[in-house]
Amino acid sequence: MQNASQRAAARTHSKGLADNFRKYWPYYVMAMPGVIYLIIFRFIPMLGSVIAFEDYQVYTGIFSSQWVGMKNFVNMFTYSDFSRILTNTLILGALRILFCFPVPVIMALMMNEIGAPRLKKTIQTAVYIPYFLSWIIVSELIFDLLGVSGLFNRARALFGLRPLLVMQQSKYFRTVYVFSTIWKEAGWGTVVYMAAIAGIDQSLYEAASIDGATRFQKMRFITFPMLLPTVITMLLLQIGSFMELGFEHVFSLLTPMTYSTGDIFDTYVYRVGILQAQYSITTAVGLFQSVIGLVMVVFFNQLSKKISDDGGLW
Amino acid sequence: MRKRSWNDQMFSGVMTIILILCAVIAVIPLLSVLALSFSSKIAVNTNAVTLFPVGFTLDSWKAIVTRPDMWRATAVTIGTTLVGTFLALIITSLLAYPLSKKEFGLQKGIMIMVVITMIFKAPTVPYFLTLRSIGLYNSVWAMILPHILTAYNMIVMRTFFLGFPREVEESATIDGCGPFRTLAQIVLPSSKAVIAVIGLFYAVTIWNQYQHPLYFISDMNMFPLQMKVRQFVTESSELQTIAAKRAVNYTERSLKAVVVVFAIVPIMLVYPKLQKYFEKGAMLGSVKG
Amino acid sequence: MKKVLSVLFAILMLLSMVSVSSAEETVVDLSVWGTNNGFLPVEKGSPLYEKYLEITGVGVTQPYVEWNGGTTYNEQLNLKIAAGEMPDMFNPNGMETTLIKSGALLDLTPYLEKYAPNLYNLIGEEVWGSVRANDPTGEGKIWYIPSVIYGRNAPMIRKDWLDKLGLAMPKTQAELVDVLKAFYEKDPNGNGIADELPSGGRAEARWMGQFFAMFGVAMWEGYPQWDLYDGELTYSAVTQNMKDALQFIAQLYQDGLLDPETLLNNKSQWDGKINAGNVGIWEHIPQECYNYAEAIYESTGVQPDIAVLPVIDADGYEGKGFYTGRKLSGIEFVVAKTDDEKKIMAVMQLLNAYGDTSKWMDFYNGVEGMHSVTKDGVTSRLPDDKTTQQNLILTPYNTISTPEFQVELLTSQLGTDREWAISQAIRNVKELAQYTHLPAGDGIPNSIYGEYADIQNRTLYVEYATKIITGEYSIDKFDEFVDKWYANGGQAVTENARAWYAAKQ
Repeated sequence: MQNASQRAAARTHSKGLADNFRKYWPYYVMAMPGVIYLIIFRFIPMLGSVIAFEDYQVYTGIFSSQWVGMKNFVNMFTYSDFSRILTNTLILGALRILFCFPVPVIMALMMNEIGAPRLKKTIQTAVYIPYFLSWIIVSELIFDLLGVSGLFNRARALFGLRPLLVMQQSKYFRTVYVFSTIWKEAGWGTVVYMAAIAGIDQSLYEAASIDGATRFQKMRFITFPMLLPTVITMLLLQIGSFMELGFEHVFSLLTPMTYSTGDIFDTYVYRVGILQAQYSITTAVGLFQSVIGLVMVVFFNQLSKKISDDGGLW
Repeated sequence: MRKRSWNDQMFSGVMTIILILCAVIAVIPLLSVLALSFSSKIAVNTNAVTLFPVGFTLDSWKAIVTRPDMWRATAVTIGTTLVGTFLALIITSLLAYPLSKKEFGLQKGIMIMVVITMIFKAPTVPYFLTLRSIGLYNSVWAMILPHILTAYNMIVMRTFFLGFPREVEESATIDGCGPFRTLAQIVLPSSKAVIAVIGLFYAVTIWNQYQHPLYFISDMNMFPLQMKVRQFVTESSELQTIAAKRAVNYTERSLKAVVVVFAIVPIMLVYPKLQKYFEKGAMLGSVKG
Repeated sequence: MKKVLSVLFAILMLLSMVSVSSAEETVVDLSVWGTNNGFLPVEKGSPLYEKYLEITGVGVTQPYVEWNGGTTYNEQLNLKIAAGEMPDMFNPNGMETTLIKSGALLDLTPYLEKYAPNLYNLIGEEVWGSVRANDPTGEGKIWYIPSVIYGRNAPMIRKDWLDKLGLAMPKTQAELVDVLKAFYEKDPNGNGIADELPSGGRAEARWMGQFFAMFGVAMWEGYPQWDLYDGELTYSAVTQNMKDALQFIAQLYQDGLLDPETLLNNKSQWDGKINAGNVGIWEHIPQECYNYAEAIYESTGVQPDIAVLPVIDADGYEGKGFYTGRKLSGIEFVVAKTDDEKKIMAVMQLLNAYGDTSKWMDFYNGVEGMHSVTKDGVTSRLPDDKTTQQNLILTPYNTISTPEFQVELLTSQLGTDREWAISQAIRNVKELAQYTHLPAGDGIPNSIYGEYADIQNRTLYVEYATKIITGEYSIDKFDEFVDKWYANGGQAVTENARAWYAAKQ
């Protein structure tokens, strides 16, 4: 009985789809190239993730390598420092969302307040420059700035303080990570918000001016709410890559003295997987990270749909 | 009235000062790389350079700029970036537009699919073998096709389309425009800001890519700039050979600095050019008219 | 008639053989992959291709394969193998065990002695014995060409500083501390600023062998080695010797006698401090000390005297300290499995030339005008230049290196204006031999580490060692480290290592 009703439901659904296709076929045609692209360039290679369940050897190949089931995952979970890398990854991911994510939003709102267009343009360009330098170069600079004769310790010397080697103390690693992320990526992050602000209907501001609103009030009650859908989308995208903290970033700032706060999944994978060309382990850890990302996106997507009608990615 | 505008000026002044500070901090990295690129061998070898050149010299720049392969790499990078960005904007907007429509029956399904491609990554080896099997090995297309549709950019574009005023589209439909014409003649022309942003995102991705050329390009004549950068950023080996002295005033590190600057300046200049599309109200000109 | 016919027949036979052999003389090209720190690739017909063809009779092509510490190289090699296009001859960079086990490589045992006698004899039966002992299939086959080097790393000291301050070369721990203190306090570089760094090293506690050596810790460039401790093969990082060494280093660090940035320095930062004439004692490769000497001269105007620091006698340590040598220091090349006899013969021909010491100077000098210049009949290498030079992949003079050949090389470069610096290098290479000791675990294969990547990468060791040195951990934490090391795979790895050692005996 239930089966029959299910089948009926499926039939109506497929009938609905057929109707929908007849009515809106141009949408289907438009989406087709993108969907085919995603299948070829993303989904088919993704099937190769089965190597996470194999003892994959490149010479032997995907189809002939030995099947080992969950062994690679078990190895990961029983790794003696597993709780350390998990904690570090989660903390850095959370800090990133709490402290790094809002900065571009605030910066974009602030930039919107600059009157002189020339100055605004110059500042916009300047703040996005660091994004173009690789982490290897930026981190070298960070080590210099925080070194014994770097700016930071020269400033400390002015106050009669002894030099402090920040980069070799585990308690500062997270701070350095957060600040360096902001330094390198905040300016770049403003670009999308600047575009969103550009799309706001000018008549709203004109109406507010007539009502006697201050600039701050306009920012608070017009610009920010109009920006919110973009902010929510960006937040969901950020949450989807929660576990991706940027291998090059963390690795280039990490020293053995800061492993206890800075060793994350990506650096672990580098040591046990990439350095030894153990693709099965690399893939297994990657799958684990993706599953966590998926769970978080689904959760926050539902949440944002509750909050606003148009919110959510699907 | 007077007081309020004074308040406004204060507000905007404080914002400006803070942002100028941010801008100064932001240019430090570039400044330090520039300083290295113009410094003498001795200064570089003894870590004497910080933010300004020491023992100013153009030798490092001369050594790089006179290399034909640097210019060939520049051509490859510019070419792939232009073609790639163009294709990317087409395929991305074609997907993002229907996905912004509730009446599109597959909207939810395709969105979930897109999000999955964002979260789950293909492992390196299967990815390489798949793309190789469709003929992307040692072809410039290997630096273009893999980048022309990313979930992230598509989703951002879709968010902008979602905010597009429905009345405008509806009136177009009433005028007898099909979805294709609405997209091409109504939506895209008034979405210059988002096109500029997404175009910039794609352009920068393609410009900065190194993984695909690394895996797929074996012919050095096809190397883009970023591969040249990596060639110089690689640390030298511990073991040196005893060599005759040569009267050059550059070192590996100063050359590296030159190549880094050489590779990023062109793409950095794109953004200021795009800023005119970010003028206020660029998107909604059509709404009132 | 019959005779005539048979003669004719014989002539025909000969002719056909000649034509066959001349057809065989067409050049065989081999694609060879190895270390490349950013130099240009070698295509067929390019200058270095022709040069190698001239030296070896075999065509050698090399695509540009980014090295990047070996990581990117491995990745690209794996992709190549996965696509079924393994290079003909390559540096396996740690992947040899899996490749041998999956049957991807050519068994060199039947060929080397017969077809590459130069290389076979140069490397010698003893080393081949070790190579056979390391066969992961346990069949005693030769799967790779090892690199065989002399103990070339050692600490060096600014002897001109000692002379200036009227100090003798330190011999005991107390004298060493006094020298370091004097370097710190008495302004040996004479610039009036207390910017001297008496000693130091690099990140991950690398290149500070001067302090490990005095306690008998087998240590190669910051990588602990396997040696006999209490009569048993043991990882040097978990010995009492290591504990003593770390305690001493931590004390020096606390007293300000080491560069405070010791554990943050990368290669160029640390070299920069040495080149600026601020460092008193450092470990590197004495055969290259002229590089430092000339850089110091350029930047300070002082001609330094850089000498090998003798092994210091440590308080309370009864054994004799040593500078760790490494003979079987790694794997240079493996050969892809093939049935193509011509290709195998070409590989052997190449390897035979590689092992022919009379050709080493040719390998060294590379292409005239690109890698080297000849002036007044003397050929000398040009400085490394990634913008113009093709990658010299065949470097037998480095991978089968001997102090004798190094001295020969250095001597050939003695021009009048550089003699002061190069003669220091020659003196140091000769002096170094007396302090070198080959640890018992020399040539131990990576396969002993099995799945314990963190033991192989010495992750746990560097974390504890660096934290003890900076004082974040007290020296008592060392015992915790040892326990943790054994518990997390060290036990199994030690058993493997000892089994390997027993089998080798």
